[in-house]
Amino acid sequence: MVRTAFFAPPRWVSRSWLAASLASFLILLAGCGSGGSVSSGVTGTGAVTVVVNGPAQTRLGTTTQFGATVSNSVNQNVTWQVNGITGGSTATGTISTAGLYTASTNIPSQNPITISAISQASPAISGVLSESIWNPVPVVSGVTPIEAGTTSSFQINVAGSGFVQGAAITVSGAAIPTTYVSSTSLQASYTVPTTSTLAVSVVNPNPGSSVSPSANVQFTIYVASVAAASRLLDQATFGPTLADIQHVQTVGMNAYITEQLATPTTILPDVSVPPPTVCASNTISCEQSEWWQTVLTGPDQLRQRIALALSEIMVISTNSVNSAAVITYQNMLANDAFGNFQTLMNDVTLSTGMGAYLNMINSLKPGNGQIANENYAREEMQLFSIGLNMLNQDGTPQLDASGNMIPTYTEAQVQAFARLFTGWTFQPVGGGTPPKFPASATNYYMPMAAVQSGHDQTAKTLLNGVTLPAGQTAETDLAQGLANLFAHPNVGPFICRQLIQHLVTSNPSPAYVSRISAAFANNGKGVRGDMAAVVRAILLDTEARAGDTDPNFDGGHLREPMLYLTNAMRGLGFVNNDVNNYYGNLSNFSGNLGERPYSSGSVFNFFPPSYVIPGTSTNAPEFALENTATAVLRLTQANSIVYNQITGMTGNLSATGPLGVMAANPGNLVDFLGQIFMHGQMPTNMRTTIVNHISTLTDMGQRVRVAVYLIITSSQYKVIH
Amino acid sequence: MGTNRRSFIKYASLAAAGNAAGLRPFGMLNSLAQTTSNYKALVCVFLFGGNDANNTLIQFDTAGYTNYSTVRGPLAIPQAQLLQLGLTPNFALNPNLPEIQSLYASKNVALVANVGTLLQPTTRAQYLAGSSLPTNLFSHSDQQLEWQNAAQSGATATGWAGRIADLISGQYNPGAQIPMITSVAGDTLFCNGAVSTPVSVSPGNLGGATCSEGTAECNAQQTTAQALLNFSSGVSLITEDNNITSNAYSYAKTLTAAVQSVSPLQTVFPANNSLASQLKQIAQIIQVRAALGVSRQIFFCSVGNFDTHAGQLTLQGALLASVSAAMNSFYQATQELGVQDNVTSFTMSDFSRTFQPNSNTGTDHAWGSHHIVMGGAVKGGNIYGKFPTLALAGPDDSGTNGRWVPTTATVQYASTLAQWFGVSVAQLPQVFPNIGAFSTNNLGFV
Repeated sequence: MVRTAFFAPPRWVSRSWLAASLASFLILLAGCGSGGSVSSGVTGTGAVTVVVNGPAQTRLGTTTQFGATVSNSVNQNVTWQVNGITGGSTATGTISTAGLYTASTNIPSQNPITISAISQASPAISGVLSESIWNPVPVVSGVTPIEAGTTSSFQINVAGSGFVQGAAITVSGAAIPTTYVSSTSLQASYTVPTTSTLAVSVVNPNPGSSVSPSANVQFTIYVASVAAASRLLDQATFGPTLADIQHVQTVGMNAYITEQLATPTTILPDVSVPPPTVCASNTISCEQSEWWQTVLTGPDQLRQRIALALSEIMVISTNSVNSAAVITYQNMLANDAFGNFQTLMNDVTLSTGMGAYLNMINSLKPGNGQIANENYAREEMQLFSIGLNMLNQDGTPQLDASGNMIPTYTEAQVQAFARLFTGWTFQPVGGGTPPKFPASATNYYMPMAAVQSGHDQTAKTLLNGVTLPAGQTAETDLAQGLANLFAHPNVGPFICRQLIQHLVTSNPSPAYVSRISAAFANNGKGVRGDMAAVVRAILLDTEARAGDTDPNFDGGHLREPMLYLTNAMRGLGFVNNDVNNYYGNLSNFSGNLGERPYSSGSVFNFFPPSYVIPGTSTNAPEFALENTATAVLRLTQANSIVYNQITGMTGNLSATGPLGVMAANPGNLVDFLGQIFMHGQMPTNMRTTIVNHISTLTDMGQRVRVAVYLIITSSQYKVIH
Repeated sequence: MGTNRRSFIKYASLAAAGNAAGLRPFGMLNSLAQTTSNYKALVCVFLFGGNDANNTLIQFDTAGYTNYSTVRGPLAIPQAQLLQLGLTPNFALNPNLPEIQSLYASKNVALVANVGTLLQPTTRAQYLAGSSLPTNLFSHSDQQLEWQNAAQSGATATGWAGRIADLISGQYNPGAQIPMITSVAGDTLFCNGAVSTPVSVSPGNLGGATCSEGTAECNAQQTTAQALLNFSSGVSLITEDNNITSNAYSYAKTLTAAVQSVSPLQTVFPANNSLASQLKQIAQIIQVRAALGVSRQIFFCSVGNFDTHAGQLTLQGALLASVSAAMNSFYQATQELGVQDNVTSFTMSDFSRTFQPNSNTGTDHAWGSHHIVMGGAVKGGNIYGKFPTLALAGPDDSGTNGRWVPTTATVQYASTLAQWFGVSVAQLPQVFPNIGAFSTNNLGFV
């Protein structure tokens, strides 16, 4: 990252050498060397003398006005010479008939030089002054520290004027080995221990050694490259912005994650009662508006991104869940995103959102001729915790002697868990135990509560030989049942592989999954299920970071429609401009591509983790939404973005906007967009093609639109890699 | 693997070259395709979530209904509301299927009883003894895939329609402008072959992308955007997305051109009915089959939310009503186009649901299910296969909750449809490697 410190024209400070001027040299003894001033008399009162007045030093590139006082003579005129040559010379500097000396370009071989004033009335009489020629005062106009990679070493480029051979760059007053490039350019190498703001100046050597005013220059040790910072943000947020990229570069990836882990949840508020006019007929749209606003503008980007991933693993849907329950569920996922997985399991299980979606709420112990509702029990095992088949810690399936996969549970165990999950209903608004089962009033804002009369208290045989005795309360059964699932060795690889797929890559290597499963099993402090440790391990894994330095590293995943939209909005600086601050129209745009927030068609999410691209053996979940129909719809969406047609949002892609101004230089525009959208890793052939294309356009706004369109419709962009 | 998606494009390009050389393949093909008698289409209507067949086709005779209402308890539909099937009066349909009842009466609908995923003929005793079974019975995702790929597990990456396309596209659709298979409900395993891939269409959005830059720059922009798709990448997913997007440009262009000259369908499809919108789109594509150069097509559409674990009567009733109305309009559209005998539609679903209700007025995941086949070529007005004995822990129950062991295999159902479509008996094992395990490969309903 190159950053240039520009500063205003220098504020000159008074310098002692400036005061040391206007000394006059008067030497009264004739024949006493070249420096003397000799006179001979013409007037009756004494001998004619000539005295030269002027400063004793002149800097290269400047002029000095000398004066001559002729005493005892009516004729005051003098003839000016430098080193005995009337008018001087290029090598020594020239002097006008009026005594204005113009210094030579370089220091004369004989220095000091002699300035002589010869009386025209008495040509034998002259005054002489010894003049030292000094190097100029250097001027610094700009300092550019260029970090070598992500190290603490910098190349310092100093631009300015008046630099001479032997000039040195100084940092904090100390000169450092410097390479002279030209009178306007110097270079040096410098190492700083930490990011610091230091005074940089230039000192010219003797004769007349002088120091420029200093510039305060920030030496930022970027601990992450542009590519690394931008890629991390693509993996961990709802879209990189220039400010976030620079921030990650500055603090580093690990520190950024630490910051994000500590950032509190942006809580979605309840939709007011009565609801705002904009969603009077359907409060789901206000819930979705709040979600878009949060993910686009919330500071808790990583938390919200994990909540999104979790919402696509532990799926509920507005197809059958109301806005109050969805908002409560979303806030719960965000709050639990960095907590313990067992807490998350408990909170999901008792949420009214999940309770409503998979019918655990009001699920009654079976009566005669009935079975317990298996819906939540089955999906809790199949989708939310352990999966269908026994897994190795690296996520690959275990196989029996015949090469077949080994089921994790039986239908009988589904039925046992189905009975275990009975007896839960809405909690009273004030909390406490519901007076009856099912509760007579709904309360979507609090976790479900148990009524023992609704709970099946028969014994239950769970996984791994654990049997719960008959007669336990709903709460005890639930706690022990979830503990039974949480302890299953599948949970780590099953959940972690999916989190990796959501954040980093569709096809993690078994070794990658294994490393994250290990972090799940033990966060380093003996704790199982620490999601903060898991998230950090996923994002900082060598496989996650391989693309930082190798743009062709074979990984990544397709940008799902909601992320496609948020990335464009954030990257291009779109802001809400709806009079009601309503963001809900974004759902219509992502919905065209198959995704609305919390609106999956089934508990199997918008796309299944096992999806294989047709005609290949490549596992790529998000590609379930990418086909020849939606690919065309994505092109239309890109057109809507560049034409500022995203209802409720606005961005400035005009000729006079920041991108439009940048478009005067097509390469600069494409490079900037490449940094925002492609981690600064746009392939050369792609860059050349786009630059060539937009160079033919004369409308700067059109250059911006077309450049953005070509980038965001490219597969290079669509696939986060 | 990335070349597979390109295979179709290569094909179309060769055909176009032939045309330019004066060989006129399209002229020949168009006349071929326009010969209605030579056109055939299969339309799969997938009922995602697992339709409860026990409340779709109900025994109507006194003993049968009494048994049904006794076990089903709160989920039993009153007998007076059921739609009796006059041609098979011991059976009746759910009251929300009036159009299907009429089509059954006119012999344009057949019903196939207790179809499900099987590897071989299987009895309750064999099931309980742990005979070879499809993997992950009762799991939505797995059973959806196994219905679509007619294989032991969802891991087999080709669907049976895709394999048909692999096998006979060259024979029936030489030089076609689009693939044999069209999905109006996204990519699904059903449609994917080893070398052929479907065209996906968003209902109501046949045309290409919207561009606002003006014609000249839009064309230039599209040219450049497509050029970017040709740059190679070391990232596999980029290569795959390049292929999908390249095909998308191609198919959109073809479909846009094909539909430009036709008059709108007169058949009215029900509004606010997702399946109807999909079937209408399918009818419009069938309408332009000549311009597309196809004489065989397979379509995929779907409707979801059949996973009725709670509040089933209301939920399933509304869904079946939408299916009945949508399929009826589609049949009428095929009549309007004169292809009612050339188009056969059929349902598939994850599984049926437990005959025994749960304590939430719902039902849970089960196995063998009843299905609907519709079209003029269908030998309708009859129920094919063996209707199960509806007894908990009875001879057809896999356990004690009424999860019927299928008496007809999915692969037999599919094989029957495939033969009508044009797959020869000799070719069957290539599409259905497991078909030999069953005594018949043709159930005779079409």
